[in-house]
Amino acid sequence: MAIEQIKAMQPSAPPERLQHEDTAVKWALWVGLGYLIMFGTLGVITAVKFVIPDLFYSVQWMSWSRIRPAHVQGMIFGWLLPIYMSMFYYMVPRLCGTKLYSEKLGKATSIVWAIGILIATYCLLNPMNTTNIFLMTKGKEYEEYPLVSNVFLLVGWVMLMWNLCNTFARRTYTQMYAALWYVMGCLLWTAFVYVIGNWPSQLFSTDGVGGFSGLNDANINWFYGHSVVGLIATPGGLGLAYYFLPKAANSPLYSHKLSLIGFWTLGAIYIWNGAHHMIYGPIPYWLQTVATIFSFLLFIPVLSVVTNFFGTIRGEWHQLRTNVPLKFIIAGTVFYFLVSSQGSFQALRSLSAVVHFTDYIIGHSHMALFGTFTFYAYAAVYYAIPRAYKKPLYSEGIADWHFWLSFLGFIVFSAALWVGGYAQGQMWNDPNIPFIETVNFMKPFWHARAGGGAAMLLGMILFVWNIYKTATVPAPPASEDEIRVAEGRGAAAAQANS
Amino acid sequence: MNLPTAERSALKTGLGVGLTFVVGLTFTMLIPSFNENWSLNTLNPAGDQAHYHNPYTPQQLRGRLIYQREGCVYCHTQQIRPLEGEIKRYSIGTSLAIPANEREYVYDRPHFLGTRRIGPDLSREGGKYSDDWHYSHFYYPRQMVPGSIMPAFTWLFKDHEGTPVPTADARDLVAYVQTLGFEREVYDPKTYTAANGHADGWGPWLKPQDRQASQQLGENAVNRITPGEDHSPVRGGGEGKTPADITTKP
Repeated sequence: MAIEQIKAMQPSAPPERLQHEDTAVKWALWVGLGYLIMFGTLGVITAVKFVIPDLFYSVQWMSWSRIRPAHVQGMIFGWLLPIYMSMFYYMVPRLCGTKLYSEKLGKATSIVWAIGILIATYCLLNPMNTTNIFLMTKGKEYEEYPLVSNVFLLVGWVMLMWNLCNTFARRTYTQMYAALWYVMGCLLWTAFVYVIGNWPSQLFSTDGVGGFSGLNDANINWFYGHSVVGLIATPGGLGLAYYFLPKAANSPLYSHKLSLIGFWTLGAIYIWNGAHHMIYGPIPYWLQTVATIFSFLLFIPVLSVVTNFFGTIRGEWHQLRTNVPLKFIIAGTVFYFLVSSQGSFQALRSLSAVVHFTDYIIGHSHMALFGTFTFYAYAAVYYAIPRAYKKPLYSEGIADWHFWLSFLGFIVFSAALWVGGYAQGQMWNDPNIPFIETVNFMKPFWHARAGGGAAMLLGMILFVWNIYKTATVPAPPASEDEIRVAEGRGAAAAQANS
Repeated sequence: MNLPTAERSALKTGLGVGLTFVVGLTFTMLIPSFNENWSLNTLNPAGDQAHYHNPYTPQQLRGRLIYQREGCVYCHTQQIRPLEGEIKRYSIGTSLAIPANEREYVYDRPHFLGTRRIGPDLSREGGKYSDDWHYSHFYYPRQMVPGSIMPAFTWLFKDHEGTPVPTADARDLVAYVQTLGFEREVYDPKTYTAANGHADGWGPWLKPQDRQASQQLGENAVNRITPGEDHSPVRGGGEGKTPADITTKP
């Protein structure tokens, strides 16, 4: 396909300008931002409790083992998914050349989702001290949210699908840009994965406790747990990056074909990976080997995405000095490559024998959900929200601070866990070292982790403050070009257009 | 432009997305679920069940719910990998800990395999410490294990004339913890070699003498454990702490 054709497909040159209301964008945005601060704070408390285990020691709902799942689930379902929704509401109408099907339905979706997360978090912290299976945690990683809140989240997701699919159906451009494929993948896979992970084990139950036992339960748990990252967070986040990277860099996508290869291999390969969470576990040997092989096959979609993104900003690297959304996307893409390579190699038996069960894995999983997808979400918000509110960003300086706090804080956070975790894994394999000595060994690393985490939280607070001021400071409506100039990218845009 | 039709059809994209999902689902989830060692009775009816432990009692099942509610699984795995360091570290007395086996989980709903060892693995924990050690440890872990970062579970105790007394929740939880690993066969350290512990779970530990030794271990644990009002500190394993110690306010 000729370069001219690919350039002609770019969404950066829509034939006519539609006026988008973007109300649904704003509602979902504030749900996400509120939960970002809430669950970010819980995350830092989780990290501090490693250092000061007696912190709030007699407060039951602040127990480490209750805020930990509330933090993990909250960051995925309370922050990432609402922000994905918000950005989908922003980019899908623009890519389809039509208005959003229903702004009202979008607002209702945000409310349903926010209530669902609130109920779920209350149940996970469990101040009512119940062991009622419909109100308490399911006790399995990534699927802790109790059934009552699963209902809210499922209804909310179906409302989102209805809204966006109707928008797809009314599109005026026949060509579907790569980002739209990823949005559609995210919508469908999330629905499949969420239902399979949360419902059958409860519905087949005869006595309230989960209906699947033992290793069936574990296998479904990890099929689901891995897919939460691979088929919910990944296609959504990559969809955002595919749209906002060419937009923010004002540079056409490098290769349309690569994006298609990346999309279909992602869908075909990721689903096979769940069992690599149980390498050397009690599951059959063949299942572990299959998971290892497919973990390495993941290099195909990962390299296609990374090549495509770096190709897109070829010749545009100078923009990284001033362009905050671009900084987040490029840092996120570097982290995406690192975390995916880490993931493939961790599936090798020899490495898994050392790092499995250690803090190394915690550093790894944060690189996916924070270093990559949260960074993409930050970039998307910085690009889209000034345009949704039709005002320039309140402060580019604060945004820059946000980037460096997030970036350096995360480097400290994860490097401490990788180094400490690997060493702890080696110590565990020597049975002469008492377990408690390996715990004491980790303590300096946990201090560093809490410090890095605090910097990440400070960045989040600056971010939300910046967006809040952008939304509330009174200013006359600015046009797309005026916003671009205010972002310090006027000159680049003028050059590109000339 | 001559584009493939799928790029212009949302419906075909959706069908493709669904198809990739179903194929992966079939091979990694549905097919393994027919493994006869994963299920309870439906595919592998009585007879050669080779149960690796007895069904949980109602009290132990309540204990599992407390374990689930308090989130113990986030810090404690319940699987021994077939690695030399691991089977030695989690040994039971002088016997090596056997690696995790497929059948030992058939009564676990939900599973507590775990993903993170902030604390040690618990799958061979039963009988290693006394009930009283566990009560003291749950009340304030650092008085039993200095340096521990485990949370204190003070709400599992109620105040009785200035002394914390375990509630029913605590007793159920300890009853469950004490089942972990017993009636699960142990390797004979003399005949064990690294080669016969392999990852698909069928180790050669079903030898009669091993089974007998294991049952003895389990019976010892059972006889010492009578959760109730009587907390006589006769059970071995602890650090010589008696119930009086749990009056220590952290």
